[in-house]
Amino acid sequence: MTGWTLAIDTSAGTSIALLQAGKLVASCEVANNMKHAETIGVAIAQVLAEAQIRPSAVGKVVVGRGPAPYTGLRVGLAAGIMFSEAVAVPALGVVSLDAIAMDALRALAVSGQTVSQDKPLLVTADARRSEVYWALYSGLSKFGAPVCFVGPAVSKPADLAAELESRGIEPHLTDLPLTAASLGLVAEAHLLAGVDDSDLSPLYLRAPDATMPKANQIFGKRVSS
Amino acid sequence: MSENFAVRPALETDLDSIMKLEHSSFSTDAWSMSNMHLELTAHHTFYLVAESAGRLVGYAGLSKLQGSLQADIQTIAVANDFRGLGLGRKLMKMLIVEARRLGATELFLEVRADNPVAQGLYASLGFEQIDLRKNYYRPDGIDALVMRLNLGFSDAELSRPEPLVLGIETSCDETGIGIVRGSTLLANVISSSMLEHVRFGGVVPEVAARAHLEALKPTLAKALAEAKITMDEIDAIAVANGPGLAGALMVGVGAAKALAVALDKPIYAVNHLVGHVGVDILERGELETPTIALLVSGGHTSLLLVRNLLDDVELLGETIDDAAGEAFDKVARLLGLAYPGGPEIDRVAAVGDPKAIRFPRGLMLPKDMEKNRYNFSFSGLKTAVARWVEAAVDRGDEVSIPDVAASFREAVVDVLVSKAVAACLDHGVPRLLLGGGVIANARLRQVAEERCAANGIELRIPALSLCTDNGAMIAALGAQLVMAGRLPSALSFGADSTLPVTSVQTLF
Repeated sequence: MTGWTLAIDTSAGTSIALLQAGKLVASCEVANNMKHAETIGVAIAQVLAEAQIRPSAVGKVVVGRGPAPYTGLRVGLAAGIMFSEAVAVPALGVVSLDAIAMDALRALAVSGQTVSQDKPLLVTADARRSEVYWALYSGLSKFGAPVCFVGPAVSKPADLAAELESRGIEPHLTDLPLTAASLGLVAEAHLLAGVDDSDLSPLYLRAPDATMPKANQIFGKRVSS
Repeated sequence: MSENFAVRPALETDLDSIMKLEHSSFSTDAWSMSNMHLELTAHHTFYLVAESAGRLVGYAGLSKLQGSLQADIQTIAVANDFRGLGLGRKLMKMLIVEARRLGATELFLEVRADNPVAQGLYASLGFEQIDLRKNYYRPDGIDALVMRLNLGFSDAELSRPEPLVLGIETSCDETGIGIVRGSTLLANVISSSMLEHVRFGGVVPEVAARAHLEALKPTLAKALAEAKITMDEIDAIAVANGPGLAGALMVGVGAAKALAVALDKPIYAVNHLVGHVGVDILERGELETPTIALLVSGGHTSLLLVRNLLDDVELLGETIDDAAGEAFDKVARLLGLAYPGGPEIDRVAAVGDPKAIRFPRGLMLPKDMEKNRYNFSFSGLKTAVARWVEAAVDRGDEVSIPDVAASFREAVVDVLVSKAVAACLDHGVPRLLLGGGVIANARLRQVAEERCAANGIELRIPALSLCTDNGAMIAALGAQLVMAGRLPSALSFGADSTLPVTSVQTLF
């Protein structure tokens, strides 16, 4: 596939990247994990200007599907979907944790450390409410894509620790930040491997906060004593 | 932070103070006094100064040659101890508005490559980097970034056939995408998540926001097909950025910004409630003003005085507790009727006696009509209905649900119409426009017609598909802004769940 890749991730901060032929050309990283709606337009315009390309030069849009807590995640997905519609190119969805995993797995490979299902990479992200999103990776595929074998899931840190212990796993850890550039590279590797990334549904991993009203007694809850 | 500075146009007599600040701000490359004097007095320039306690603490200037569509930011400086207070932003915003007023369609500036703070400010105002000039700032040899801001359409472009505007509405539970050409409706597609809220008995913000994201793509495709246009024909994007549910609004804002950037078209962030008023243009070609507008939905109950759609919208009053639509939902649930409550109550009330029970009219007592003349309250009414029903059940009386529904509906309608008519009479405005989903209520329309006729007030009720939340009204309001030659919104605007009606367009 020729042309440019526009990668967008708003699962944490706002991260936007433009890649050409697998190389990062322009990026915009805004760490603030609020303000996605304010930032998204300026950030996309900025990377296009920096790369000095017209929007119509973009050949595909890659969007992070999370997991992430709700509101910000949707801003990036909405923007990615609409950008791809506007320039009539495919939109691809990638699990955001994969982007971190790719960077971490490459670093582990460089330092000569082995990664396997017995000694996997654990990637986590803040899920708020004292919970974490997490996934386990067994290494990079021959096309260079991170191979996830458990998750993504959401757990209390203590439950995650228990889960790892029950599996007898002491995983590699990483504190690398998520970048849209790596998200784009994961999508490139998936394309080579023939992985279908057409699912753009957000990974909330939690049901909406809403309580059902009490069973409708005929006249509901009493207001008079 | 409170602003302790005042901004006014610069005078020739400001020259000495400006030069003092010029030298302290630009130690190596300050302008000469004679150059600055020329700048301040030239016909093609516009300079502003900011003062605090009699001291000059900032200045900024613009150049726009007559006949040119381009304007340039000449300079901007803020005293050291006044940085970080928003003064630079304020000066820039005023220059942008002035450049647009002078007829410019593009505004340029240069900024030092080693000044990320200034670059960030300009980017947040919508400026994009278009060029890099090596060694521009002497003697330091610092590069200059050239940045450009799109100010919208030229007068020549505005005289073309009417603009094609796509509007996006996601403030509550309807994903609306509408397309208009000037004042003509081309498409109005609505995808509602209403059914997903039924089991919760009311709109759940997170459920609504999730549904918006899912609905975007199909709704857009349907709207383009209905309007029989392709994406590249669109001249501008409009989006409702408030008031409404924050998480829901953000989906529309993110979507609209990406469309605007991808199509390289200007974007207009508009007020959802004012959109309900502007929708009348799509049916009558124009909005007759002044008009009173009564907007009633599950989220809003607002009474507006609109003297001018784009510049002068005043909030006369609103509900101090539940919205009217919310009251219908709650009473419906109390009576064992389904959600949404409005149509259900309308249905059973058809065979009920509206005079069977005299339920209280909120904020209608003489003392209330002094302090809360145009405000509404429906929470007490809802409780009164519950108490009445409980007392009847306790007595062992048989409760006529049609009578309760009809009497409740009568109380709501009476208050809504009484206050709207009072607003018309008080302000000498012979027009009333209705908007919002509750306008679907048959009794409300009927009583409004009767009382408006009795008081010589012209009543406007748009088609129901334009009364409920929709994207066409957002597109229509956006088109009005385009046709009036207004500045587009900077890409940095956010969603504002409590956006006041006085803010018709969010510029920055």
